[in-house]
Amino acid sequence: MNLLSTPRINISTWIALAGCLIFVSSSRGSNVPGPDGIEFFEKRVRPVLVEHCYSCHSSSAKKIKGKLRLDSRQASLLGGVSGPAIVPGHPAESLLIKAVRYDKDLRMPPKGKLTATQIADLETWIKMGAPDPRDAKLATEQPKAYIDIAEGKKFWAFQSVKSPSPPRVKDTVWPIHDVDRFILAKLEAKGLKPVRLADRRSLLRRATYDLTGLPPTPEEIAAFLKDETPEAFAKVVDRLLASPAYGERWGRHWLDVVRYADTAGDNSDYPIPQMYRYRNWVIAAFNLDMPYDQFIHAQIAGDLMPARSDRERADHIIATGYLANSRRHGSYEDARYPWHLTIEDTIDNLGKTFLGLTMGCARCHDHKFDPLGAEDYYALYGFFSSTRYPWPGIELDRAQHDLIPLGGSGDLEKAMISRQAKLAEFDKAIKKLEADKSPKEKIQAAKKDREKFAKQPLPFELAYAVVDGKNEPKKRIGQVGDARVQLKGEPEYPGKLVPRRFPLVLGGQTLAKDAKGSGRLQLANWLTDAANPLTARVMVNRIWQYHFGQGIVATPNNFGKQGRLPTHPELLDHLAAQFVANGWSIKNMHRLIMLSRVYQLSCDDDDANLKSDANSEFLWRFPRRRLDAESIRDTLLMVSGNLDPKPGGPHPFPNPSAWDFTQHKPFKAVYATNRRSVYLMTQRIQRHPFLALFDGPDTNSSTDSRTTSTTPLQALFLMNDPFVHEQARKFAARLLAEQPDESKRIDRAFQLTFGRPPTDSEAKQTRDYLTQVVDKIRTSGLAADQHRLRAWESLARVLFMSNEFVYVN
Amino acid sequence: MTPSTGISRREVLRSMVGGSMLLPAILAELMAEEDSGRPSADPLAPREPHFPPKARRVIFLFSTGGVSHMDTFDYKPTLFRADGRMTGAGGGLSLEPRPLLRPRWAFRRGGQCGTLVSDIFPHLREQMDDICLINSMTTDNNEHFQATLAIHTGSFFQARPSFGSWLSYGLGTVNRNLPSFVVFAPALPYAGAQVFANDFLPAYHQGTRVVPGPEPIPNLRRPAVAGEPSGLQQMELGLAGVFNQAHLQRNGQASDLAARIRTFETAFQMQTEAPEAFDISRETSETLRLYGLDRGDTQSFAWQCLMARRLAERGVRFIELIDSGSSGNWDSHSDMGQHEPLARKIDRPIAGLLRDLKRRGMLEDTLVVWTTEFGRTPGQDGARGRGHHPAVFSSWLAGAGVKAGIVHGSSDPIGATVAENPVHIHDFHATLLHLLGFDHARLTYRHAGRDFRLTDVRGEVVHGILQ
Repeated sequence: MNLLSTPRINISTWIALAGCLIFVSSSRGSNVPGPDGIEFFEKRVRPVLVEHCYSCHSSSAKKIKGKLRLDSRQASLLGGVSGPAIVPGHPAESLLIKAVRYDKDLRMPPKGKLTATQIADLETWIKMGAPDPRDAKLATEQPKAYIDIAEGKKFWAFQSVKSPSPPRVKDTVWPIHDVDRFILAKLEAKGLKPVRLADRRSLLRRATYDLTGLPPTPEEIAAFLKDETPEAFAKVVDRLLASPAYGERWGRHWLDVVRYADTAGDNSDYPIPQMYRYRNWVIAAFNLDMPYDQFIHAQIAGDLMPARSDRERADHIIATGYLANSRRHGSYEDARYPWHLTIEDTIDNLGKTFLGLTMGCARCHDHKFDPLGAEDYYALYGFFSSTRYPWPGIELDRAQHDLIPLGGSGDLEKAMISRQAKLAEFDKAIKKLEADKSPKEKIQAAKKDREKFAKQPLPFELAYAVVDGKNEPKKRIGQVGDARVQLKGEPEYPGKLVPRRFPLVLGGQTLAKDAKGSGRLQLANWLTDAANPLTARVMVNRIWQYHFGQGIVATPNNFGKQGRLPTHPELLDHLAAQFVANGWSIKNMHRLIMLSRVYQLSCDDDDANLKSDANSEFLWRFPRRRLDAESIRDTLLMVSGNLDPKPGGPHPFPNPSAWDFTQHKPFKAVYATNRRSVYLMTQRIQRHPFLALFDGPDTNSSTDSRTTSTTPLQALFLMNDPFVHEQARKFAARLLAEQPDESKRIDRAFQLTFGRPPTDSEAKQTRDYLTQVVDKIRTSGLAADQHRLRAWESLARVLFMSNEFVYVN
Repeated sequence: MTPSTGISRREVLRSMVGGSMLLPAILAELMAEEDSGRPSADPLAPREPHFPPKARRVIFLFSTGGVSHMDTFDYKPTLFRADGRMTGAGGGLSLEPRPLLRPRWAFRRGGQCGTLVSDIFPHLREQMDDICLINSMTTDNNEHFQATLAIHTGSFFQARPSFGSWLSYGLGTVNRNLPSFVVFAPALPYAGAQVFANDFLPAYHQGTRVVPGPEPIPNLRRPAVAGEPSGLQQMELGLAGVFNQAHLQRNGQASDLAARIRTFETAFQMQTEAPEAFDISRETSETLRLYGLDRGDTQSFAWQCLMARRLAERGVRFIELIDSGSSGNWDSHSDMGQHEPLARKIDRPIAGLLRDLKRRGMLEDTLVVWTTEFGRTPGQDGARGRGHHPAVFSSWLAGAGVKAGIVHGSSDPIGATVAENPVHIHDFHATLLHLLGFDHARLTYRHAGRDFRLTDVRGEVVHGILQ
C-alpha cells in the first residue's frame, strides 16, 4: 500500500493512541464492594476467561499449561509455575495483565491479543480487588508434572556406571589388555578386521602430537627406534606425560570446553588482565595430574575449600576463574545489567562441561528432550545468584572491581583500611572545595584525582575470581539463597521459589537446612559423587576423543537424548569405573588408552571394512587427523628454531586507567609472541585471525571438538603470509648452519617436518629442485652467497605446504 | 547472467609448470590425477535450493548505527506539526516520554509509484519504482550490538551463523576461485566479525572480509623479497604437489587429502582472479559516473557498490557492504544533522548500483537489500537528535521476485510502533530465504544436539511483498 492512501487521523486520536501504546498506567484503585463487583465479573470478566483462557488454564483443559488454572479465585491467586496470576488491587503487578498486554515475551492468549476493551475490563476488575463468586474450592488434584523423572532415568546416561567384565573374544592373541577386548568384541560382532599396527615412526609422531601438540625431534625418533625393549613405547608415554608441553596441550583442550577467553564479552569486550592466571592454573593442574574430582572442586568452589598455605589458598581462588570467566552481556551498568544471562552462561557451560547435559535449554522452559525441568535449572541458578562475580568493566562503568586479592588475609585488611582512609581524605578535600565555592575546574580536577586513586588496584596480585555474595546493587534479583523460577527466562516474571538442589534425574540432593552461603561446595560434592552417573563418563569420553578424534559418545557435550549413543557403552563404563578407582588420575587414563593395541593401529585402508564401516566408527583403524590450529603454528615455530618454550604470563593489555572502550570503539588487539599458541591472547568477541582461519575454538561457547575445514584462504596463508615466510627463512638458516652435507641436510629437513627421512625418489626430486632454483636465482643478480639460502627457504615453504606436514597418521 | 568461468585446472597446472621449470615427471603425475575422475569432497559445489528460486544471489547493504525511519523513508506528517508540547517515546536508551522532534528533511514523491522519500536520499528517490519499501520492520533489542547481531544472524545475544554463511551452506558457489560470501567493511560494525562469521557452520562458509585498499583479501600477494625470481611460487607449488601426490597414494586416495591439494590450486587462481575482480580499469567512465565514482578511488562506498556488481557477476553468492563502523555512523543521538553526510555517502552509489544491475539484466535474479539495526525515536534525544528505537524501522528490497514500487506495512502516526503488517527480523529473514528458494524452517544444521536455523523458532514469509 501507499502511504498516501492512509486515512488522515486527527491529532487527539493519535495522542490517545500513542499514550496507550507507550505509557504504562500504574494507577491503583480502591476495592469496590460486593454486588457491583460480582456483576462486573459476570458480565465483563468471566466470558473473557471462559472464551480465551479456560482451554489451557482450567480443570477441564486437556493439559494444564504452566500449571496455572484460572477457573477459581484461589487457583488464580495461587498461580502457576510463574507465580500468582493476579494481585488483587494491583493490575500492574498482576501477571495476567502483563500477559494480556503483550508487553513482554509472555503473551497470552497466544493466538491473538485481546481487544483493548477486554484488557481494560480485566484491569478494572483487578483494581476492584478481583471480586470473584466462583467456587473457592481448589481441586486437590495437582496437574501432572511435564517431566517424568522415573521414565527419564531409564535413559542409558542416567543409569549408574556399571563395571562390566570384559567380553569374550575369538582372537585372544590380539588384545593387549581389557580395552582391546571391548573393541575387538565389537569388531568381531560386526565382521570387521583390525588393520596392522602402525610403524614405529608414525606411532611416535602420533603419540608426541597427542600428548604435547608438538612433533618429535629427530633425536627422539632415533632414540625410540633404537630402543628394542618391550617397554619402549611405555617409556615414551611416560616421558611425554612428564613434559611441561603436556599440560599446554591438554590444558588447551580443557580451555576449549570451558570457552576460555581473555576478555569479558560485553559490548565493548573489556580485557581481563588477570584471566591468564586461571589459564596457567589449568595447565599446571594437568601437569601435576591433579585428580579430576579435586580439579572440579577447585573450579566450582575453590574459595570455600580449606587451604594448607597461602599459596594453596591463592590457587584455589584462581581456579574459580572458571566461574568468573562466564560471559558478560550488554552495556548497562544499572539494574538492567543482565546478570541472568551471565548465570545462564555459567549453568550452560557447567552442564555441558561436567555433566554432558544441555542445562541451558531449561532456562526458558522444561527441556524438550531430556528430563530436566525449568525448576532444575533454577535450583542450580540459586548457587550462582548467591555468588559474587567480579566486575570486568563495561562501557558505562569502566573500572574493574570485586576482584579477589591474593595476599595473606592480614596484610589485606591493613591495605583496605589505609585505602579507605585515603579515599575519605579525598572526599573531605572535595567537600571543602565545594563548600568554599571553588572554581568548577578545581573541583573537577579533585574528583578526577579521587577517581584515579580509586581505580588503582590494591597492592596485591588480583584474581578474576568469585566469592559467596550477591552482585548488589546491580543485580535485580540478587539474594544469597534460593532463586525463583524466571518464566520464559525473563527475570521480570519471577515465579516459584526453588530450593537449591541437584537436578532430580541425577539424585536431586538438597542443601542442609542450616546451610550458609552459596552452597557451591556441596554442588561440587554432588558433581564428583561416585553415584553420579555422568561426571566420570563425560571426562573419560573426552580423553578418549582427544586420542581417537571421536568420542565413544560422538557428542561429548551432550549425553542427552539429542546426543549420540555410545558406540561402546561397556567400554565407556569400564573406563569410567577405572578412572574413579584410580583416584581420578587423568595421566593414568592416557597410559591405559595409549598402551592398548587399538591406539597403536595404523591408518591403513581395508576395502572390506570400508564397505560396512566407512568412518571406522568401530576403530578397525586409527583415524588420520589434521593438526589443529595451535599445533600448526607451534610446529612452524619449533622446526624453525623460533619457539620460545617459556610459559606465557600476562598479556600486554593497555593500562586499566586508560580503558575507554565502548561499543563504538570496542577493545580489539592481536599480540605477537613466539610462545606456544595456548598463550595467545584470545578475545571473547573477536577471534584471533590465525585461530579463526584454522578452525580454532569458538570463544563464545563450549567447543567440545574442533572442526576441520580446508579452505583456499588457509592455502593462501601458507603460500604468502609473512609469518610463514619468516619461519621458512629461519628454518633454512638453521639447517644450513647445522648440517654442511646437502644429502644429510635434506634428510634432516624431512625428519623435522615429516618425522621420517625422504624416500630415494623424494631425495632426488629435492636435490634436483634445489639445483633448479639455484640456477634460476643465479640469473636474478643476487649475491652468490645468498643463492643456497634462498633455495632452502623455497624448499622450506614446499615442506610447510605439504599435506604430510599437517596430517598425522 | 552467466558467471565467468575460471580457468580449467589443466591450464593452471600448465601455468604452474612455468616454462620448463617443473620436471616432466611431475607434470605427468599431476595431469594423471586430473583424468582419474575421482570425486573430491567439495562442500562449496553448487547446490539447488528447496524450490526454484527467484534470486540467485544477494547484495546486502547495511547502514550501521540505526537509521531514522521518519527522516528517510517513513513520512509522518503529524511529526512535522510537532511543536514541543506533544510527547512520544523518547531518546537515549529509554522509552520515557520526550518532546516530539520534527523531521529535518521534506518528503517528495519519487518515480511513477509516487512513494514519498525525504530530501536526504534524492537519487534513491528516483529509483523507487524498483524498490519495495517496508515501513513496519521491528526488532527486539535497543542496543546496537545485539540488534546488529540479530539482523545478521537472527540471534540477539549468542553468536550464530550469519545470513551469508547460511546461504553459502545452502547453495554452495558457482565460482570456486572466489569466496562464496564477501563482506566489504572498511571498519567493523557493532559485534565485530561475528556478524559475518560462520559460527558452527563449516569454515568454508565464513564471510571473507574485504578491507578496501591495497590488499582486499589477506595473503593474495606473496611478500616481496628482493632478488626473488619470478615463477618461484609455481615451482614451490609444483614440488609440493608431487610430494602430496605420493602422500595421497600412500594414504588410500583419501578425499580430505585430495580436497586440500585442490585448495592450493584454487588459492593460486585466486591470486590472479581476485585482483582481476577488483580491477576496475576497464569500467567505462560512464559507468563510474553512474555510481559517482572517481577513477583511482578504491575506498569509497561508490567503489564498494561497483565491486558488489563485479563480484555478483563473478558468481559470489552473498555480498555485504557495511557503510560505517561502530563509530561515526548513523547513531545520531545529539543531532539529526549527522545523518546528512552519511546519506550523501551512500545515496548516489546505491542508486547507481540499482540502475547498473537493471540495465545489465542482473536485477532479475539479484536481490538487493538495504537495512539497519533499528530505527530512531519520534521523541527528541540530546539537543536535536533521536534515540534508539527497535519497535519500528524502515528497510527495503529490490530485484528478484520482489514487488517493485510498493510500500509494505506502516507505523503509527508518529512512527512509534507498527500500525499494520509487522515484519519482524525473523520474518524478514524467512522472506529473503524464500526468495532464494529455501523454506527457512528446513534450512537447518545440526549443532550441539539440536537443529539450528537462521530464524530460530520463528519467522513467517511476508507474502504481500512477493511477486
